Amino acid sequence: MSSPESTVGGEQPATVARLQDQFGWLFDPQLLAVAVGSLAVVVIGGLVQVSFGSYSMTILQAWQAVFNPDVLFNTQVWNAFLLGGELPEMSTESLIVWNIRLPRVFVAIIVGMNLAISGAIFQAVTRNELASPFILGVSSGAGLMILLTLVVFGGLTAFLPLIAAAGGAVAFLIVYGIAWKNGTSPVRLVLAGVIVGTVFNSLQTALFFFANDIGVVQSAIAWTTGSLTGTDWEQVRLALPWSVVAVLLGIVGSRQCNVLLLGEQTAKSLGMSIEKVRFALSGVAVLAAAASIAVAGIVGFVGLIVPHMVRNLVGSDYRKLMVGCLFVGPALMVGADVGARLALNPVQIPVGIVTGLVGGPYFLYLMRKQQQMGEL
Amino acid sequence: MVSIGSITGRLHRDETDDEAETATDSDPDSPAASTLTGEGLVLGYPATEEPVVDGETIAAEEGAITALVGPNGSGKSTLLKGLANQLTPDDGSVLLDGRDIHTLDTKALARKLGLLSQESTSPDSITVEELVYHGRYPHRGFFEHVTEEDECAVDNAIDLAGCGHLRDREVGSLSGGQKQLAWIAMVLAQDTDVLLLDEPTTFLDLHHQLEVMEIIETLRDEREITIIVVLHDIEQAARLADRIVALRDGEVKASGPPEDVVTEQLLADVFEIDAEVDNTDRGPRVTPLGAIHDECGTD
Repeated sequence: MSSPESTVGGEQPATVARLQDQFGWLFDPQLLAVAVGSLAVVVIGGLVQVSFGSYSMTILQAWQAVFNPDVLFNTQVWNAFLLGGELPEMSTESLIVWNIRLPRVFVAIIVGMNLAISGAIFQAVTRNELASPFILGVSSGAGLMILLTLVVFGGLTAFLPLIAAAGGAVAFLIVYGIAWKNGTSPVRLVLAGVIVGTVFNSLQTALFFFANDIGVVQSAIAWTTGSLTGTDWEQVRLALPWSVVAVLLGIVGSRQCNVLLLGEQTAKSLGMSIEKVRFALSGVAVLAAAASIAVAGIVGFVGLIVPHMVRNLVGSDYRKLMVGCLFVGPALMVGADVGARLALNPVQIPVGIVTGLVGGPYFLYLMRKQQQMGEL
Repeated sequence: MVSIGSITGRLHRDETDDEAETATDSDPDSPAASTLTGEGLVLGYPATEEPVVDGETIAAEEGAITALVGPNGSGKSTLLKGLANQLTPDDGSVLLDGRDIHTLDTKALARKLGLLSQESTSPDSITVEELVYHGRYPHRGFFEHVTEEDECAVDNAIDLAGCGHLRDREVGSLSGGQKQLAWIAMVLAQDTDVLLLDEPTTFLDLHHQLEVMEIIETLRDEREITIIVVLHDIEQAARLADRIVALRDGEVKASGPPEDVVTEQLLADVFEIDAEVDNTDRGPRVTPLGAIHDECGTD
């Protein structure tokens, strides 16, 4: 019999092994493959996006503009982009590429990350594979608040992300409250989410009747279907700080997510203050969803599908899952936006339509393939 | 692997137990092992009006194995959940080394008291090792990384649970018995003074049942852990435990050493079965003869 007091390994090898244990998972070959593959999609999608548009320039010109060192290494330019300072003189090509076409790609990346992280966290918190900001009513709540702001309280547009976050949080609390009955079940959460979402969507539709300007209605429709049309550095500046916070907190919280997946009883017996952790993580997920909704409207299916795809590829360890989501989310968004912008050129369709068209069938395929779906 | 020698180890222990008991009576703050007492516990679920357990007092003997037995619905799992702070008692309190467990921080409590639930779920794709590392959760801060102490505890736990050969296997690919060993390793990694186990042998094949029992014995003999275990099988309980608490309808019907508790009368009263009890040197041996039907039952 092996004595329980026996220690394993000498000092040095143990330390090395521990370091490997701590960061070794980052070099998981599947995770690396996912990251590299997603990066390739983002880069290719980005290059396609900058190459086409109403201002005609050759692909070579466009790519030269992307890698133009005068822009890349000019602090004044970055100051203008990220902090809203004054933009220095630059060539027309550079201006078009860097000020019109590229910001849209960056917004797509940020939105993809946020939605993926948000969905992944919601799936852990509810221990439900079907959870996503879209299905749990967060999107509808945030969307309603955005519409209210646009239609009724026009003066508060500057605070859109905060207002959207508040709307999303309230909607999620309502859903959780309805579903709560000595704990929640996956099915009850989804049902409550669908019901609350439907009510909020009705309210959104009702708001259209109070819009006295066709322009407001059009922008409202763009918001509720999710669109990246016309996004520029303004949107990047708006969403970036919140996204950085949400992503960092999401990664920090991934160990808590892993313990949550062991079930409420086990998590509790391991000493987790389960309600606090769930509440905090939900807050992070709402923030991430709201940040993306504030700049791109309600883009459906990304938050639902990306965590699924990543889980199928790297397994359910949330440390890997979160990192994978940071790559696959942007890849899906950038790819979908290429379709949204260029497929029916010169007509642009909202990117939410493309993600819905891609995501819906993929989700159906998952449902068919997996024996059981729902509880994680 | 745990050796079979631990069973004989237990037999030797039986003699010393009586001494230990008298020692604890005179000196309740014996430093070695932890005590866990539930006093006047009233436990129930929000969905039901009547409490399942209504004002029971139960004490786990320190450094020994206490088995909770009883028929289905007798409240043994409920009582265990109450002791483990999974259920908040409507009345009464649970004392760990004399302190009310509700006053303890959740993580501090989890460092002293571990619980293996009856049905544990985990994602299929995590490895046994990753699962066992979760047992270190209460020992780690929010940002803290794995320390050498964590590693030792995990290695020891995996050793003790005898699942070293499963270490890198995915939990989803394991059999029921192997899964149970992995989960036991997880609670062992928690490194607690008190361990509560809810039907750890149910649904396992004989080999794994014995293996689990041997682990529990090793824990008592070598680590002086105070153990409360819910068991379905009364014979198993008699063989494993130093003390048996028999429950029926949420009431403690009998408690004491196996020889005193496992009697034909008790089996009739609590389990409603006709049975023959032979006292062998491996403890009482129960031969069930038939079910007692209500008209000739004791209630």
